[in-house]
Amino acid sequence: MAKQDKLDKKAVKRVDKQTKKESKKARKIAKRARKAEKRARKKGTGAPAITIGIPRALLYFRYKTLWTGFFKELGVETIISAPTDRAIMETGSSLVVDETCLSAKIFYGHVQSLIGQCDYIFIPRISSYGRHRSMCVRFDALYDETCNVFRGTNQKFLTCNVDELKDEKEKDAFVGLGYQLGFSHKQAKRAYKRAKRAEQKKRRQAANETEQLYRREGTKILIAGHSYLIEDAFIGRTVTDYLKKSGVTAIRADLVDQSDALKRSLEISPTCRWEVSREILGSIAMHKDKVDGIILMSAFPCGPDAMVNELLTRKLQGIPVLNLVLDGQTGTAGVETRLESFVDIIRFKEGTL
Amino acid sequence: MENAYLGIDVGSISTKGAIIDDNNQIISSSYIWTQGDPIGAVKQLLHLLEEGFDKERYKIVATGSTGSARKLVGTIIGATMVKNEITAHAVGTTTFYPDVRTILEIGGQDSKIILVENGVAVDYAMNTLCAAGTGAFLSSQAKRLGIEVEEIGEYALRSKHPTQIAARCTVFAESDLVHKIQMGHPREDIIAGVCNAVVANYLNNVGKGKKIISPVVFQGGVSKNQGVVAAFERTLDCKVIVDENGHLMGALGAAILAKRSTKRQEFDFAVEDMEFYTREANCGRCSNNCEIICVYHRDGKMIDSWGNRCDRGAQSVG
Amino acid sequence: MEVNRNVTLTRYAEYNCAFRYIVEQGIEARYIMPPALTKRTEEIGSKYSPDFVCTPFKTTLGSEIEALEAGADTILMTYGVCRLGYYGELQEQILRDLGYTFEFINLEEYNTGRIRDLLTTIRRLNPKINVAKLTRSALDAVKMVEYLDEVTAEYYKGCGFDASGEYKKAYKRFLTAMYTATSREEITAGYRRVKEDFQRIPLDKPMRPLRVGIVGEFYTAMDAFSNLETEQKLADMGVEVHRWMNITNQFLHNKGIKNLAVKIRDLCTYHMGPTSTANIWAAKEYAERGFDGLIHIKSANCTPEIDIMPVLQNIGADYKIPVLFLTFDSQTSDVGLMTRLEAFYDMIQMRKKVV
Repeated sequence: MAKQDKLDKKAVKRVDKQTKKESKKARKIAKRARKAEKRARKKGTGAPAITIGIPRALLYFRYKTLWTGFFKELGVETIISAPTDRAIMETGSSLVVDETCLSAKIFYGHVQSLIGQCDYIFIPRISSYGRHRSMCVRFDALYDETCNVFRGTNQKFLTCNVDELKDEKEKDAFVGLGYQLGFSHKQAKRAYKRAKRAEQKKRRQAANETEQLYRREGTKILIAGHSYLIEDAFIGRTVTDYLKKSGVTAIRADLVDQSDALKRSLEISPTCRWEVSREILGSIAMHKDKVDGIILMSAFPCGPDAMVNELLTRKLQGIPVLNLVLDGQTGTAGVETRLESFVDIIRFKEGTL
Repeated sequence: MENAYLGIDVGSISTKGAIIDDNNQIISSSYIWTQGDPIGAVKQLLHLLEEGFDKERYKIVATGSTGSARKLVGTIIGATMVKNEITAHAVGTTTFYPDVRTILEIGGQDSKIILVENGVAVDYAMNTLCAAGTGAFLSSQAKRLGIEVEEIGEYALRSKHPTQIAARCTVFAESDLVHKIQMGHPREDIIAGVCNAVVANYLNNVGKGKKIISPVVFQGGVSKNQGVVAAFERTLDCKVIVDENGHLMGALGAAILAKRSTKRQEFDFAVEDMEFYTREANCGRCSNNCEIICVYHRDGKMIDSWGNRCDRGAQSVG
Repeated sequence: MEVNRNVTLTRYAEYNCAFRYIVEQGIEARYIMPPALTKRTEEIGSKYSPDFVCTPFKTTLGSEIEALEAGADTILMTYGVCRLGYYGELQEQILRDLGYTFEFINLEEYNTGRIRDLLTTIRRLNPKINVAKLTRSALDAVKMVEYLDEVTAEYYKGCGFDASGEYKKAYKRFLTAMYTATSREEITAGYRRVKEDFQRIPLDKPMRPLRVGIVGEFYTAMDAFSNLETEQKLADMGVEVHRWMNITNQFLHNKGIKNLAVKIRDLCTYHMGPTSTANIWAAKEYAERGFDGLIHIKSANCTPEIDIMPVLQNIGADYKIPVLFLTFDSQTSDVGLMTRLEAFYDMIQMRKKVV
């Protein structure tokens, strides 16, 4: 009991400290905003602060803490597009080439929904974090492709370039971005540092929480897929919702300690070049014995997944694997049928059906 | 005696023919189903054309063939001009509608869009691998729903709340359609949904990145379908012209192209009584194993052959 | 010292002659030429490949299987910047699952940017390699590739205006010479001969012929079998066919990708993919030089090429030049391609008359 009390007291203290910190932070932000306003008035523009739109799609789900944190630290207002619905998906599909992957189509739908709603739409070009830590080539082209698709509108886009293979560091990219927005190097650097710290903290937390799930009783299924697919309200949510409903613990493979996962991924695939795929591969290597089945979830027709998932199905023996390709148009019925039979197979094997 | 020109358009679903005079006026025209037998269809078509043709007044001095069986038919009727259907449609339409800017065409197995500037085609696109936006898709769905293709338009116009149907590809669309039927959607709503899906798929696939400018002419077999026309007008938000001879445009284009070229050869309706047969042979000289089609006269004389990728598979004619 | 090893590298356009030269003259191993690509290659390749992988994966897998059937025991696979970098690992896994026995040398494993690591790989092929000889033969092979690209480019610009068929014969003779060359002298002789032939054969070329520029994916745009001989078909209609993209321009002489990017700054800011900058640059160049049409060739599911399609559409709109987009996979039919090309030809011809 005493121990509990102690803990509680500690918690209260922490909360106090936090609120103090936060109020301090708020004061600082207000001060900075006042300064910025002063600066603007000096220049004679008198324009109100700008707003930046971020599409709720693709890498937003992976980097949201960093991106929104960075802009928040600088006191720049951001708006995030609404969660995906059918209309967003269909607008997106009508904008780009038919062969584009579903997730990218959804992205363009989100961009369209933000047009006219903000001064800039933020689309960073994220290419690589080092050797064998690249993103899909689609992200190399994303900014330029968007500019070309929406050339007819007067929308302005904001970008920065992360390509550590070519010595374009993430830090420099964000400092440059802050500078572009009219902040000093020092301000931008501080904002990046804080946002990065918050991101790392959040990632660790998510990884730890996920790690707890593996110790749960009952049927556990590992979902291997890109965060932008799993977290998407219109596409991936149907899968996780269904699994929850049928009493299965769904565990996301991508929420994992990054450096461990990157190391372990080499066990399955020594030459895989995609950072996200490697995290998932590593996570599968770490946890495949702790779960009852694996769902490989990919968007139609995802380039990296087409190859990585093929390799995985060939290498993963002795554990049930479902290769789930989401098209977004087959309706929920088709997906549910496949999930249901998969869960049944696992339970049948366990003898709990 | 006045000159006349014959054009034949043999598609996968239907075979169209038209005879025109020097002023591009239609003297005789006809439209029948191909039913998987292009040679038979052409003979029947010629028979029908002959009935409406005044042999005393006109003589056919040049013939053109187009459509997916253009080569086969061109060989049989001895065409002076064998042209692909895109050019034929563009030429036919711009002759009758000189100020047209966009031509939409949906046929049996493929669909295309042609952009026109100053009476000349400047850009075009054709469907890639998928048949979802075509007539074949419509007729198979009509069959599934137990109605005739001709009735689709009528049903579709009756619908107040068209059902949402996936348009990305035939297989997905079909499974979605079955699902919607099982869910209990009314039939006319589903049919209207199918028409919308055809239009959506067409614009997403063929019309992607193409600027559709009015006046728009819509033709091909599917243009006879009021439901699809309405769906196009709603989506494009402009008037869509459907010519009463829209289905003949390919044949007319072939006839006009034949007229424009300098090659002349008198056409004899006696062809319809001749017998032809085709034979398929596998080359087998390398592992490409090309399928070579040979066309023979009844008396066993080979008229033409095609299908070989290289000279090794060339057949000697005669 | 010669080693007892039968090396193969997948079929790739006409470049296999250079691969053979390096393997036989430099590494001193035997080279197994994979059989020419046919429908069968594509069929067996597609049969064992995942569904929505790009078509070159299927073709190269089929080619590797055919080379194994022809007696190869060592497969070499290159590294690459897009999905190509992952071809090796997956293809090895698929071939092993099929039960073939072979050694697989995946250059991606050694792709660290250090020349020493590359040499380690080659030592696996022949432990007693003569580095000086290897360097010399590599330089010869580079020259061969340069000649090959130069002659091929000239061939497609000219062959549509020669009715006698001599032009084509001269080109074929040149290819044979390259495939059989064993020394620098033979390479040069073959090159000189074809250049003389091209000079000698009279061409019936109009003052301003129809010119079409080809851009596209690195494998499909260059490999005549994969694109169903689009270039030859166009040339046979009487078109001057230009294609900037080849190994010489992309790798050997092109050190200035950044400088290409300068010219297309209004269209794109970054390097959009492995060949995107070069393709956009070439497309813009063709458009500015008043070409009659552009053809974009890609295989199904090629991500970087899909991504540049909106840019090419914008070039088409800006310069009023028709752009034909062709996608190839193992299902693409010759008849369908011919219809599209004929229509494209008719269109640019009629346009030219009006303009």
